[in-house]
Amino acid sequence: MAVESQDINLLANDNRGKSQLEAGFDLLGWDEVTQGSVLPSFDGDATQVAFQKAEERTYSGYNSYTATVASWRVVKPIFNIDVCIDCQNCWVWCPDSSILSRDKQMLGIDYDHCKGCEICSEVCPTNPKSLLMFSEYADIETELSQWPQKQKKEKK
Amino acid sequence: MAITSIKNLKEFSTNNDRFEGAHTLCPGCAHSMMVRELMNCTDDNLVISTNTGCLEVSTAVYPFTSWDTSWIHIGFENAASAIGGAEAMHKVRKRKGTLADNDAPVKFVAFGGDGSTFDIGFQWLSGAVERRHDFTYICLDNENYANTGGQRSSATPIGSTTSTAQAGTHSYGKKEKKKDIMAIMAAHDMPYVAQLSPNKWKMMAKGFQKALETEGPCFINTVSPCCTEWKFEPKDTIAITDLATDSLMFPMYEIIDGHELNILYRPKKILPVEDYLGAQGRYKHLFKPEYKHIIEKIQSDIDKDWAMLQRREEARV
Amino acid sequence: MAVKYDLQEREVWDGNFAASQALRQADVDVVVAYPITPSTPIVENYGNYVANGYINGEFVMVESEHAAMSGCIGASASGGRVSTATSSQGFALMAEVLYQASGMRLPIVLNVVNRALAAPLNVRGDHADMYLGRDSGWIQFGAFNAQEAYDLALCAFKVAENHNVRLPVMVHQDGFITSHTAQNVYPLSDEVAYGFVGDIDPVDDMLDFSRPVTYGAQTEEDWHFEHKAKQHKAILDSTPIIDDIFAEFKKLSGREYKRIEEYDMDDADVCVIGLGSTVESARVAAKEMREEGVKAGVVAIRCFRPFPYEEVREALSGVKSIAVTDRSSPGGAMGAFYNEVAAAMMTSQSRPLVTNYIYGLGGRDISIENIKTIYKEQQANADAGYITTDIQQFTNLRGPHLGFFKTARG
Repeated sequence: MAVESQDINLLANDNRGKSQLEAGFDLLGWDEVTQGSVLPSFDGDATQVAFQKAEERTYSGYNSYTATVASWRVVKPIFNIDVCIDCQNCWVWCPDSSILSRDKQMLGIDYDHCKGCEICSEVCPTNPKSLLMFSEYADIETELSQWPQKQKKEKK
Repeated sequence: MAITSIKNLKEFSTNNDRFEGAHTLCPGCAHSMMVRELMNCTDDNLVISTNTGCLEVSTAVYPFTSWDTSWIHIGFENAASAIGGAEAMHKVRKRKGTLADNDAPVKFVAFGGDGSTFDIGFQWLSGAVERRHDFTYICLDNENYANTGGQRSSATPIGSTTSTAQAGTHSYGKKEKKKDIMAIMAAHDMPYVAQLSPNKWKMMAKGFQKALETEGPCFINTVSPCCTEWKFEPKDTIAITDLATDSLMFPMYEIIDGHELNILYRPKKILPVEDYLGAQGRYKHLFKPEYKHIIEKIQSDIDKDWAMLQRREEARV
Repeated sequence: MAVKYDLQEREVWDGNFAASQALRQADVDVVVAYPITPSTPIVENYGNYVANGYINGEFVMVESEHAAMSGCIGASASGGRVSTATSSQGFALMAEVLYQASGMRLPIVLNVVNRALAAPLNVRGDHADMYLGRDSGWIQFGAFNAQEAYDLALCAFKVAENHNVRLPVMVHQDGFITSHTAQNVYPLSDEVAYGFVGDIDPVDDMLDFSRPVTYGAQTEEDWHFEHKAKQHKAILDSTPIIDDIFAEFKKLSGREYKRIEEYDMDDADVCVIGLGSTVESARVAAKEMREEGVKAGVVAIRCFRPFPYEEVREALSGVKSIAVTDRSSPGGAMGAFYNEVAAAMMTSQSRPLVTNYIYGLGGRDISIENIKTIYKEQQANADAGYITTDIQQFTNLRGPHLGFFKTARG
């Protein structure tokens, strides 16, 4: 039975990962930059931000949520939802807020923000792992269809 | 204070991150793990200040910010003073009733690397703590000035090579022992100081929550393995912290009110420090015959320090 | 409710006390400070007002001046009214933070009690600290006496907090000469003073949790230039707002302040241009010179940042010889004030002679006689049509005459 692969744009807000960091915005003139280089994180009322999931928030164009570091990757994690036990190790240790976990369920990777550091895969406790690293150009469906089998633990 | 549930990791994972991706920290950097953890420990409003350093430089580069709460960076030394000023203003405005929402709970947190905490910002931290501002200071200790290319700080351990205390044919790297920041901060008679590590997420979360809930100044030192300067693969950050805590290079303990020491983690099996040192490129020169005695010195220092911690814990001082 | 402070219509205050009264009347929320002679009484008094209930504020005594301005930034970014005071070494120590405060566009008011910079160590009045901060991006006012130290501090808050300005403001006064000399001061009543300054209307308030903001972002080569240009424009554009606020203050107090002030300049052939209490001495000297037949005038710079380039050029255009007086050790160049005035005169039609006098360092007195000598030298220049002395001279200095550079003459 085919493992369900995640949507690449899983839980993406309208503007997640739309801007490039290097070019940033269009390079604006002195008359358009913010006063004191102060940056607001949200558009609209952000009082409830702690209680809102990312996809519910109105991020401002100045929030790095709207930028992407996908180009940093040479390898990417692929997530096998069938093997996963929702332990949330990957969620707590992802340095880039790129593990998409909702209501105690690990749902997938935020490929806009993942840098391919491989920590999620390292800390994944399942056998076989639920997160494995592949070339950035690997096809997700293909890799899921040939996921490694359970490994025998070598006696030390 | 609205603390979040840390009963288990599944519950903890239901928090909504207030630290966003597409910051420019190195892949695998432990700093952001700990920032995320701090921000997920509470639902309260946060005002955060940060000293110049990797964290600051990577999370607020115009025109982007990765912070979903109010955040201020002034300079290299003065995050503690900045947060003290903010905390004082909050007190006054609350008294006068001039806040947008006078009842909104808020916590004040300052972040600094080891460079700004142990060295250039030391006075500022000491002053803010002495004045009893109600804030939590978290040191993200990667044992060098990583942001500027890996120079030595007073947090750099003996035998580590850094760009300004280099190992070579005539030197084994840093010669001075790491400054005991925990003892120094505890000597300020602070309500709570703790040394924590990101591999023990729950212990860290508990420590953060305790610090946030405690009135007055609290200090938390954290080990933040730096793949770029410690020279290991980004994927091994958590593995390195396991070695750090299990070799007791980074013992985890807390000191309450300056004199009540509790060890938080006792490794089931204490690893020889060689295992920890061998996993990082910054120590590889120590494995040469002419410098092996430094490893022995490091081990002996660890043993002495661990014995001292245990004696203090027993004596309840 | 603050305890009512008993104010007379005419008080006898020194410059420090006067400034601290302005802080009380402006209802400053937070003062983060460090003591340094001769500014300390300003913040001590604020502490006294807090301790006795005259003001509902927080007095945070930090561990260095650098920390003081840093704390002020944190407090100001948290949406309230903030002020502090310092001098000399403390000013130098907080120098990097001054740039940070103005770059972040925070409306902090700094009372600078001008004192010489070491080495050698000196606690007396000169303008070395003022000069150190001239590029820091702050609006800067100069008070020449205790009344002005009070008046200008009140104006400073109003200017700084104006939404079209949003820049920090310094109010300078001479160390000991002004700060520790008790004079008649006519304060406004508490109600009128606070009514003038008004409530603060915060911008980018860190404590407004409906709109979290990031302060202190890094701007690299793609952005820094635009931000600094914007800041420079903001400080230059503040002039009409400063003028309006001075005009409003005049209506309330009867005292008129202008960004540059001219005394007897209408037909002046020679003039002294200065900062600080020296202006008042120069006015006395000019009057005496007039009695001796010399058409002498005085120009005072009340607001020297933004530098009143056009106003200076206009005020000095008809003059034949100008003495620019610098109360700061020039360190290998003409005095900084001389440079700025001379630059303004470069684009004037008349191109008068401009000379430089270094005086009063470390609290050395400058007497009426000293200034009259300066006028006489200007008159000699005016008569000859060229600078007859060295271009830069030290006044009232013991030892052989010290002067540098001569006019290049064909």
